[in-house]
Amino acid sequence: MSLLELRNVSKIYGKLHALDHVNIKVEQGEWLAIMGPSGSGKSTMMNIIGALDKATEGEILLDGVDIAQKSAKELTDIRRDKIGLIFQQFHLVSYLTAVENVMLAQYYHSIPDEKEALEALERVGLSDRAKHYPSQLSGGEQQRVCVARALINYPEIILADEPTGNLDEANEEIVVELFRKLHEEGTTLVVVTHNPEVAEVAQRTVVLRNGKVDHEMINENFTGKIKHITLQ
Amino acid sequence: MFIRMIAKAFVRQWKKMAMIAFTIALGASLATAMLSVMMDVGDKINQELKAYGANINVVPKGNSVISELYDVGDENVTGAYLNESELGKIKTIFWAFNIVDYAPFITTEAVLEDGSFVEVTGTWFNHHMELPTGEQLDAGLNSLRSWWDITSGRWIDEQTNDKSVAMVGSTLAKKEGISVNDDITLKGIASDVTVKVVGIYDSGGEEDDYIYVPVDIAQLLGGLDGKIDSIEVSALTTPDNELAQKAARDPGSLSVSQYETWYCTAYVSSICYQIEEVITDSVASAVRQVASSEGTILEKTQLLMILITILSMIGAALGICNLVTASVMERSQEIGLMKAIGAHNGAITGLVITEIMCTAVIGGIAGFFAGLGFAQIIGHTVFDSAINMRPMVIPVVTVLVFIVTLTGCIPAIRMLLNLHPTEVLHGR
Amino acid sequence: MKKRQMYIRMVTASLLRRRSRMVIALLAIAIGATILSGLVTIYVDVPRQMGAQFRNYGANMIFTATEDVMSAESVESAISVIPESELVGAAPYRYETVRINDIAVMAAATRLDEVQKTSPFWDVSGDWPAGPGDIMIGKTVAQTYNLKAGSRLTCTYAPVSEGSSDTADPEAGEEDIVPDNYKDFTVSGILDTGGNEEDYVYMSIEDMEELTGEPATYDVCELSISATSDELNIIKDEITDSVEGVTARLVKKVTESETTVLSKLQALVLLVTVVVLALTMICVATTMTAVVAERRKEIGLRKALGASDSSIVYEFMGEGIVLGAVGGLLGAILGFIFAQAVSVNVFNSSITIMPLLTPVTIIVSVIVTAIACLIPVRSATDVDPALVLKGE
Repeated sequence: MSLLELRNVSKIYGKLHALDHVNIKVEQGEWLAIMGPSGSGKSTMMNIIGALDKATEGEILLDGVDIAQKSAKELTDIRRDKIGLIFQQFHLVSYLTAVENVMLAQYYHSIPDEKEALEALERVGLSDRAKHYPSQLSGGEQQRVCVARALINYPEIILADEPTGNLDEANEEIVVELFRKLHEEGTTLVVVTHNPEVAEVAQRTVVLRNGKVDHEMINENFTGKIKHITLQ
Repeated sequence: MFIRMIAKAFVRQWKKMAMIAFTIALGASLATAMLSVMMDVGDKINQELKAYGANINVVPKGNSVISELYDVGDENVTGAYLNESELGKIKTIFWAFNIVDYAPFITTEAVLEDGSFVEVTGTWFNHHMELPTGEQLDAGLNSLRSWWDITSGRWIDEQTNDKSVAMVGSTLAKKEGISVNDDITLKGIASDVTVKVVGIYDSGGEEDDYIYVPVDIAQLLGGLDGKIDSIEVSALTTPDNELAQKAARDPGSLSVSQYETWYCTAYVSSICYQIEEVITDSVASAVRQVASSEGTILEKTQLLMILITILSMIGAALGICNLVTASVMERSQEIGLMKAIGAHNGAITGLVITEIMCTAVIGGIAGFFAGLGFAQIIGHTVFDSAINMRPMVIPVVTVLVFIVTLTGCIPAIRMLLNLHPTEVLHGR
Repeated sequence: MKKRQMYIRMVTASLLRRRSRMVIALLAIAIGATILSGLVTIYVDVPRQMGAQFRNYGANMIFTATEDVMSAESVESAISVIPESELVGAAPYRYETVRINDIAVMAAATRLDEVQKTSPFWDVSGDWPAGPGDIMIGKTVAQTYNLKAGSRLTCTYAPVSEGSSDTADPEAGEEDIVPDNYKDFTVSGILDTGGNEEDYVYMSIEDMEELTGEPATYDVCELSISATSDELNIIKDEITDSVEGVTARLVKKVTESETTVLSKLQALVLLVTVVVLALTMICVATTMTAVVAERRKEIGLRKALGASDSSIVYEFMGEGIVLGAVGGLLGAILGFIFAQAVSVNVFNSSITIMPLLTPVTIIVSVIVTAIACLIPVRSATDVDPALVLKGE
């Protein structure tokens, strides 16, 4: 059984079909990239998978349970227990330190544990920046705090929306390297991006166009390492 | 483009703008209401203090000296009197408008059927006057003696042709066994009159031993046709100051300009002086008990209201400042962007101030009218009369709203100008 | 326990690290609380303070003799019935007819220091009598005799022989039997009241005793009591019933009018307080709303991380309550200072402290702040987190 399965999912805003009968399966431990140009429905897909938004029609099976018709409150519980979110704009709480931002996720999930939060920061290589505020961190560091926050509760699936959109190449590499480690540990990863370099690292890439699945690509020689296209 | 940006700000952020306008409206209405009430409270309290009765007493020149000090036997023959025909003139003096009530008194002695002497006072009860100015006034004891308790019966009503009627003091009534609707015969110095008792009053003072009758009856009893021996006047006055005290001792000691200031101010002494001018051979003096206490209470009330007004104004001002600051700070992102695309500090400041000022004008106008409403509510609830609108309130409120709103912008604008576009745009 | 700690940590972090915003919010609440506590204090204290001002109208109770005259002792015991804190002044009067230049004048003997309290409206040009031999004369008397402050005069008094009234037959040639008493006085001041007091002369009780050679008895005692008319009625009845020879009466003109005017004044302050408070509270609420509305994004993020609506509300309430409490306390203190300043400036006396007002101010501040926070938080939690995070 797939960890996540979208069956005939549509999202309609007025006349606009943001998603049009999409079928996608994500296996346990898989690293999937969702690609597509602007307006192809990437963000809508991300919101629906992330239980941030409801589909207009279709079934969304997470762990074999259809979450499409769940109430807002139930979706909140699902987000809290099963999903780790990483945003393009990082969305860190400005008045909390890095470690407190990580603990925030623990707080809503179960019990905040500073030691565990510090370990998570260590995993993303930020143990020395734990007491810094988001404004004192670079973009890459902020994104790594987001990664730490996303993985702290051992979610079944980590969902990243343009995780490298605001990052330079060096930081991009660091973040992708983090994903690779998570993948090796068996975490299911869904990365929404329009950056082909980031998409290519994944095991499988789903390309969306006009709200439909245009085609899929399997990465035959998957290494989990980013290959930069060097300018000739 | 500037106008377009401002228009857009209003359309897009109408909720925020509405909130600012609302708060400014609240502040402005508070200021308007408090200022209106504060400026009018003097008059209102003055009116209320009229409950203490007359504050000016007019007697004929030398009368009191003759009747009480020289102990002359028959005061009705030698005593000085005022002319009843001159009474109307009191409402023609410079401060006529401030004279709210007055009544003449004529006192004579009469003998009751059982032979006991009784003092009979003729006066007005609710004397109706139509003044040459077109003004109408009901003057007399009914309002000048508001503290009297009518223990039985009613007040004499001059307008329903109560002619041969009398009101009897409670002590006298008890002593003589007089009750309402009794006819009593009074043997006066000049003639005898039979009057019907319509009311018995309890004044808590020496008047409880007297009989009060309409003026003409007392004149008939004493043979004093057209004569009165004192007038009580209730006037709205301005609290005394040094000038008034100086003038009260001797108006002749004032310089011409001081005299004019004094004459044209409603001091109790200048009103007295003006009454003396119109009533032949009269001495008008302030009833200190009422006049000076009125001044004190008026002053205290006004000071109290001024301080409360100041507090609420400061409150309103800080409230508006605060909200303006809060709402401008919120827009740091937008302003960072504007800076990033090359807006000068001056341009940003101009934009923010124009936006807020437009809001302030709308809010201020709405608040001003709401404030007038509040003032009227206060006026009607407390004093049963409308609060007079002073034109002064308009400029004061306008200036206040502008200053306060501008001040509210300052900290926010300083903060915005210190922003680094990069910091804002990178969401730090 | 750990969860509670994190909660406290978040609330304090939000309060302490978002300093400029929190100062704004705190300021708004403190202003509201200041106005609340200040105006309520004034409202409660106004009747007392204004009541004292109304004592300017002079005596509101008089004692008269049930029969003939009152002894000094009975007056003293009647005065002792009145609570000391309420008694402004008590001036007993003894009236005797004296002669100045052989013309009869009514002389009043009284405690002049008390008169200044019971009749504060008396306007004296010159000085109040200070020592023995000083006399204050009414304006009319001064005009009649052409006397000024500093003039000297002689009062003569014809002692009344037993059984005879003061209408003693002048033909009796009593000079042989009872000689007239006389005493020299210095006019210290001229009295202007606009009433019949201007026809009298005033001297101290001791001087009168010396002049008449008789111990003091009183005809009338004027009292100025700072109390409501109901309280005055109780005192009046108590004195009339319990003290022999003394009948207490209310000066209706003063008591009734005071009740009327004072109740209007109180109504005025009450209404003003209500209007000002209502407007200020709304003002506080809008500011709080603005401060909280700024954090929509943060609320969206918390929701995305799996926070339930109630836990978000709970966190914001925590901040609101802390802010409300601190602002309320600050306001209670400032309000008291303001009320004190008003009281000192207007009434020259200090304000009564109301211990209950501080907790009430804090509670009201907390409630207003909480409600003001709740509205924007609720509206933010209703929005889809996805929309908020995307940045509209």
